[in-house]
Amino acid sequence: MSINEIISIKGLSKSYGSTRAVDNLSLSVGKGEFFGFLGPNGAGKTTTIRMISGIIKPDSGKITVSGFTENQKEEITRLLGILPESRGFYDWMTATEYLSFFAALYRIPEKQADKKIIQLLEQVDLLKSKEKKIGTYSRGMKQRLGLARTLINDPQLLILDEPTLGLDPQGQVDIQNLLMRLNSQGVTIFYSSHLLHEVSKLCSPVAIINQGRLVAQGTCQELMEKTKSQSLADVFLTLTQTQHD
Amino acid sequence: MIKQIWLKELRAGLYTWKSTIWLLIASLLFSFTSYLLLTDKELSLLDQTEMLWLLAKIIIGVGLLVITIDASSIVTSEFEKETAESLFLSPISLKDFIMGKMIASLTLWLFVYIIATPYIIVASSGSSLALPFLAYTALLGTLGVLGLVMIAFAISLLYRSSKNTLTTSLVILLVFAIPALFSSTLKNNTLSDLFSKINPIDNIFSSLDNVLVDYQTSILQNWTYIFPLILFCVFGFILLTFSAKRFNKEGVIKSD
Repeated sequence: MSINEIISIKGLSKSYGSTRAVDNLSLSVGKGEFFGFLGPNGAGKTTTIRMISGIIKPDSGKITVSGFTENQKEEITRLLGILPESRGFYDWMTATEYLSFFAALYRIPEKQADKKIIQLLEQVDLLKSKEKKIGTYSRGMKQRLGLARTLINDPQLLILDEPTLGLDPQGQVDIQNLLMRLNSQGVTIFYSSHLLHEVSKLCSPVAIINQGRLVAQGTCQELMEKTKSQSLADVFLTLTQTQHD
Repeated sequence: MIKQIWLKELRAGLYTWKSTIWLLIASLLFSFTSYLLLTDKELSLLDQTEMLWLLAKIIIGVGLLVITIDASSIVTSEFEKETAESLFLSPISLKDFIMGKMIASLTLWLFVYIIATPYIIVASSGSSLALPFLAYTALLGTLGVLGLVMIAFAISLLYRSSKNTLTTSLVILLVFAIPALFSSTLKNNTLSDLFSKINPIDNIFSSLDNVLVDYQTSILQNWTYIFPLILFCVFGFILLTFSAKRFNKEGVIKSD
């Protein structure tokens, strides 16, 4: 693993019964990158993210995050912020209580946590609703709260699985701006999404996986030149349809 | 971490009225039993020690039932409501998670015990049994609850479903409770005697009988009943350790 790499994945495989979800996947993410992770439904994106975070164990292969191996889960979770695909919330809590709970799990001192929570709620535009029960929130509000939770520990690496899902256009733009600002501050972002226009706007480089295998990796420009395509959407369709055929 | 999980569960119990409802049911049952014991024509003729033993059985029985039901959902709800993934993405270990939840379950038992205390004191008035009654209800109840909670948590980690965990835990509770409640009417043979010796509920009731009816109040005089309860807790711990290892192997998200 080079000094500039924050995620290094080598020969990663995972099967669910007879289905090969991830098949000998190798990729690397550099520090400070806004890395796009694309693939059709069932391509293995969420499984890969779950293996990086240590939520599920790979059948084979090696994952290193900032030099820590999968056996050093606590060290990894301290530098990671992950917005997972499944976003359950404690509906009986308020946004403030929810973030305070997670701040305490990260052992952030109470006063520091209180300041951080206000700052995060402001960033995700939930300050006005901070004392409302999460159960009364809309899907978009929950999505923004989930994002605030991933930022509670000032992560060096953010892994986001469909972060703008369920947000209205203004909400999407706000989150995109927040992520771009974080990235400009040095936070590495691993961004998994179906929204190709969003990925082509935000991410470089991009990796495309299909049927658990890496089919392409590079900047959007490189991929478009390689596949003689006009847009990332064309690249995506060309590469994933070829694989299906 | 343990403290955070414990406090979260306490608040969840209060906010969602889950614990409050159980405690209300427990206090209603204790009131109803005490009222019957004191006013019913036939029951009020019972010797005070017999009456105390009956009340003790009700308190322990209600406690075990309430805690088993609560413990069957306290872990699985994290999987069913999809909060487990976010939780385990924070630097929390499975050990802290389980310990926090276990202390929350034992806290609910403590509340049941606190509610039962005035009934115990009133029913024991005029005798010197109030203190041994309180002490043995605390000791035996806590050992019984601890063993059942560990078994319920072990099942929760295996199934990750409230329905399956609740059904299995209640079946286990009934397997222990029925022979203990109807021991006098059941046929005595070697097998039933052996089961009675290892049955935690039978041992709790026998020890309470020993203390309240026979006035055998020292730990040594009750050791034959307390020891199997400790073994029951050890069995629960071994089962929980096995489930936790399997859980760690499978990962937080089960790969079905």
